[in-house]
Amino acid sequence: MSQLDPTIDLPLAAPPRRVRGRIRVPGWVALLLRNRKSRAGLCMVLFMVLVALVAPLISVAHPNDFNLLAARQAPSWHHLFGTTDQGSDIFSQVVLGARRSLLLGAAAGILATGVAAILGITAAYSGGLVDEGVNFLTNVFLTIPPIPLLVVASGYLKSRGMVTMAVVLALVLWAFEARILRGQALSLKSRDFILAAKASGESTPRIVFGELMPNMISRIAAAFVLVFYIALLTDAGLEFLGLGDMTKTSWGVTLYWAQTNSTVLQGEWWPFFFPGAALAFTVLGLVLLLAGIDEVSNPRLRTERPERRRLLAALVGGRLVARAEASA
Amino acid sequence: MTALAEEPAVRRTSRKALLELRQLAVEYGSGARGVRAVDGVDLEIREGEVVGLAGESGCGKTTVANAVLQILRPPARIVGGSVLYQGEDLVGKKPEELRRFRWRNVSMVFQSAMNALNPVMRVGDQFVDAMRAHERIDRRRALARAGELLELVGIDRRRVRAYPHELSGGMRQRVIIAMALSLNPDLVILDEPTTALDVVVQREILQQVEALRRDFGFAVLFITHDLSLLLEFADRIAIMYAGELVETAPAERLGTNPRHPYTQRLLQSFPPLSGPLERLSGIPGSPPDLSDPPSGCRFHPRCPHCGPERPELYGRQTTERPVLREVEPGHRVACHLVEEEEEVA
Amino acid sequence: MRWFARRLAFYVFAIWVALTINFLLPRLMPGSPLGGLLQHLTPSQLSANPGIVQTYEALLGGGHHSIWQDYVTYLHRIAHFDFGISTSNYPTPVSEVVGRTLPYSMFLVGVAFLLAFLVGTGIGMVAAWRRGGAVDSVFVPVFMVLSAFPAFFTALLGLYLFGLKLHWFPIQHAYDNGVIPGFNWAFLSSALRHSELPILVVVCAYAGGWVLNMRTVMITTIGEDYVTMAHAKGLRDRRVMTRYAGRNAILPPLNGFAALFASAVGGLVFVEFIFSYPGAGYTLQQAVLGNDYALAQAILVVLSVCVILANLIMDVLNLVLDPRLRTG
Repeated sequence: MSQLDPTIDLPLAAPPRRVRGRIRVPGWVALLLRNRKSRAGLCMVLFMVLVALVAPLISVAHPNDFNLLAARQAPSWHHLFGTTDQGSDIFSQVVLGARRSLLLGAAAGILATGVAAILGITAAYSGGLVDEGVNFLTNVFLTIPPIPLLVVASGYLKSRGMVTMAVVLALVLWAFEARILRGQALSLKSRDFILAAKASGESTPRIVFGELMPNMISRIAAAFVLVFYIALLTDAGLEFLGLGDMTKTSWGVTLYWAQTNSTVLQGEWWPFFFPGAALAFTVLGLVLLLAGIDEVSNPRLRTERPERRRLLAALVGGRLVARAEASA
Repeated sequence: MTALAEEPAVRRTSRKALLELRQLAVEYGSGARGVRAVDGVDLEIREGEVVGLAGESGCGKTTVANAVLQILRPPARIVGGSVLYQGEDLVGKKPEELRRFRWRNVSMVFQSAMNALNPVMRVGDQFVDAMRAHERIDRRRALARAGELLELVGIDRRRVRAYPHELSGGMRQRVIIAMALSLNPDLVILDEPTTALDVVVQREILQQVEALRRDFGFAVLFITHDLSLLLEFADRIAIMYAGELVETAPAERLGTNPRHPYTQRLLQSFPPLSGPLERLSGIPGSPPDLSDPPSGCRFHPRCPHCGPERPELYGRQTTERPVLREVEPGHRVACHLVEEEEEVA
Repeated sequence: MRWFARRLAFYVFAIWVALTINFLLPRLMPGSPLGGLLQHLTPSQLSANPGIVQTYEALLGGGHHSIWQDYVTYLHRIAHFDFGISTSNYPTPVSEVVGRTLPYSMFLVGVAFLLAFLVGTGIGMVAAWRRGGAVDSVFVPVFMVLSAFPAFFTALLGLYLFGLKLHWFPIQHAYDNGVIPGFNWAFLSSALRHSELPILVVVCAYAGGWVLNMRTVMITTIGEDYVTMAHAKGLRDRRVMTRYAGRNAILPPLNGFAALFASAVGGLVFVEFIFSYPGAGYTLQQAVLGNDYALAQAILVVLSVCVILANLIMDVLNLVLDPRLRTG
C-alpha cells in the first residue's frame, strides 16, 4: 500500500564514517541513548559493572569469612543482605561475586560472538555448500538441549576455571547467535555496495571482514547482548547446580550453598534472594537494552501510545507521566 | 444470481449522490510530529458512476479509500470533515454500525493481489467469511454462491477449495473482485487493482470490471497513478497532489483540456493507450514531505509557471493556498494561475 | 512432503550428532578417559561399589580397542537401549533408572511448555492487537520482567512465597510420602498436586519468550493487506484478530520452538533440583555430582531425543497450519 508510513529508515547499514583513521561514535549509539528502554537497560548494566569495579571498596568483609556466632542472620544494618548459615556476609558475596559472574558471562559472550559472526556471516556470503553445512550444524546444536549438555560436559572437566568455563559455554551457545547473524547477513549480501565489492574482484575474506562485518557492527553488538545474558544465566545456573568452581565467589555459588543447605526450606529468603535479584537485575538490564535495539531498528514497534499513557496516568498520577513525556 | 443483477439501467442514469466527502482531513500521528496525509478533500460519487482518483504514490489516494471504509488504523485518524454515505455521516458512527456498512454497501479491491488474501485460508472460506459477517446463510449455500461469483470472473468454481498461493497473480486479483461483489454493494473501490500485473492481464481485468459494472450497476472509485487508464474507464477524474485535490473534471474534458500544471505534466508522463505517439516528459522534482508541506500552493516548488518574474502572482503562489474553483460546468481547478487567466478572460 | 522428508532426515542426523558428541565428550578431555573419570571418585566410593571400574570401562567401550571399534560398540549398545549400570544406583541398569524418572519430566515439561505456549501467544496476540491497551501495558511488562528472571530464581521465589509462606502448594517431591506410585487415584491426585507449583514456575519463566515473540510478529502482521481486507469485509474484530492476523502471526514463532523447547528442558533441571522432583533433570544433576557418568550420558541422549521428537510434532503442526508448506 502506498499509505504514508511515518517511519524513519535508520542508517543501520550505512558504512561507518572514518574521520582521520578514527571511527566516530556511530549514529545508532546515539539513537540507543535516545530510546527509553535501551537507556534504562544501559544504566542498569553499567550500575552493576560499577558495583563490580568498586566491590573491594564497599564489601565489608571477606566473602568467605565465617562466623558461626553471626550465622543465619536476617538483613540488618550490620549485615545489609544478612548472613549465610556459616555466618558469611551476603552483601560482600554479592558485590564481589558480581566480578566473576559478569566477567565470565562477558568472556563467553565475546567468544561465542566471534565464532558466530565468522561462521554465520561467511556462510551467508559464500552460500552453497558452506552455507548448507553451517546452517545444518547450527540447527543440530539448537536441538541438543544446552543445559543438560553443559551439565554432562562440566562433569568431565578436571578444572572448572574461568577460561575453561568460558570456552565450554561459548562452544555450546554460539549457535543461537550464528543463526541470527546469518539471517541478517543474507539480507545485506545483495546490497549494492557488497555487489560492487564482489564485482571488483575482492576476495571472500576481504568482503566478509572488510565490508560485511563493519556494516553489521550494530547487529553483532545486539547479538552479543543476547548471548551475554544467556551466558550469564547459564553460568550462574551451572554454579547453582554445583558444577562451577565452588571455591570462588560468584552469584551462582552463593545460590548453590543457599539451596544445598536448604536455607529456603527453613524460611530464610535472603541467601537466595539477593544474589538471584542481582542476576535478574543485570539480565533485565540487558533485555531492556535489547528491546531498545529492536525498537530502534524496527520502527513499527514504537508508535504513539496514547492509551498506555492514559493508563499510566491513572495508575501513577499525572506528574510522573508528564515528566516521562517531556524527556521522551 | 438473478437476485444480484437487478435493474442496472435505472441506476446508471440516476444522478443521486451516493458518497460525498466534505473537507475530509486525515492525519498520521499527532501534535508537532503529525503528518496531514489528506487535507480538505471534497469529492462526490453518484450512483453507478465511475470516478477516477489519480496522483503520484504517497499523495494520499489510498488513505482516502481507507477513510471511506473507515478502516484507518492508528496512528492514522480522521481529524476533520465528513464522509456522507447516502446523506449519512460515517464519521463518529458506532463500530458495529460501521462493521455492517463495510462490504455490504462499499467494498474494496486491494492494491496487491499477492497480499490481500489470507494465505492460510481456502479462497472459498474467505468468501464465506464475508457473507456470514453480514447475513444468515449456511456454509454450503455460501460456498455455492462463492463458486457462482468465481465463474462470473472466469474462474473454475472448483477453485473455491484452492489456497491463494495456488493461484496466479491475475487469478487472485479476479478472486478479490468476485469477493468485492459478493454482497452486491453500491460502490466498489478499486485501489490500484492492476499495478502488480502485466499489461495484458491488466486490460483484461479492467474490461471484465467494466462488463460487471454494466450488469450490476455499482459505482466505482478507481484509484491509480496511471492517468491513461482513467481516461479510458472513468466518467469523472479527480487529481490529487500532496493530500489535496487540485483538479476535477469529466474524463473527456480532463483529457483534452487539462488546466492545472500538475495535471498537464501528469498527462505528458504517460503514453496514451491509443492515438499518435508523443514525446514523454516526467515531472521534475519529487513530491513534498507532508510533515512540512510547502507554503501556499503545494505544487509551487515544482511548478513551471511559478517564478519571481511575476512578483504579484509569485507572492500568492508561495503564500496563499489555492481553492477549487469552477472553470466550466463540472470542471474545477485549484490554481492561482488558472484563476488569473479566468479573471482576464 | 519433500520438506517433511528433509526434516526427518535432519532429525536422524541430529540424533546421530548428539550420540557422537556424547561418545566424544569423555575422550576429548585431556588424559586417559578412564583415569579422568576415576579421579573424581573417593576411595570410599570405589570400595563401596566394586563393579564401578568395569562399568566405566564398559561405558568407554572397554579401553582395549581403537576408538573406531569403541565407537561401533557404543552405537550398537545404544541401539539396544543398553546404557550400562548406574553406579549411584548399583547394580540397577541405567535404562531402568531413566525409565523410572522420565515420565515425571515428560509430564512436567510437556504440560508446562504447552501452557506457556498457549498463554504466551494468546497474550502476545491481544497485546499487539490493542497496542497500549490493558493487556499490553500490564501483562507484557510483567512477562518481560519474569522472562529476564533466571528460571531457578523464579522457582526459588515461587517455592518461598506460594509454598512456604502461603501454603498454597506442596513444596517438595513428586507425590506425598507413603503414597505408592501406580495407576490409582491416590497417587495420581497427589502427583498432580505436587506438579502444580513446578508447572506454574516453568510457565512463568518461559511464557515471556512467546509473549514478546508473538507480539513483535503480530505487529508486523497487522500491517498486512489481508488483515486490512478482512477488516474492510466487515468481519467482527475478534475474528480478524484470530483467524486472519493471529493465525498467520503464529507461524514464525513456531519456528523458534526448537531453541525455546531445548532451553525449557534445561530449565527443567533447575526446577526439578529445587523442588527435589524425581525427574530426569534432577537425576541428571545428581548423577553428575555423584560421578555416575553412564546415567548422565543416557539422560543427555534421552533428553536430546525428546527435544527432537517434540520438534517433529511441531513440524507436523506446522504442516497442518501452513498450506504453503504442503504443496511446496
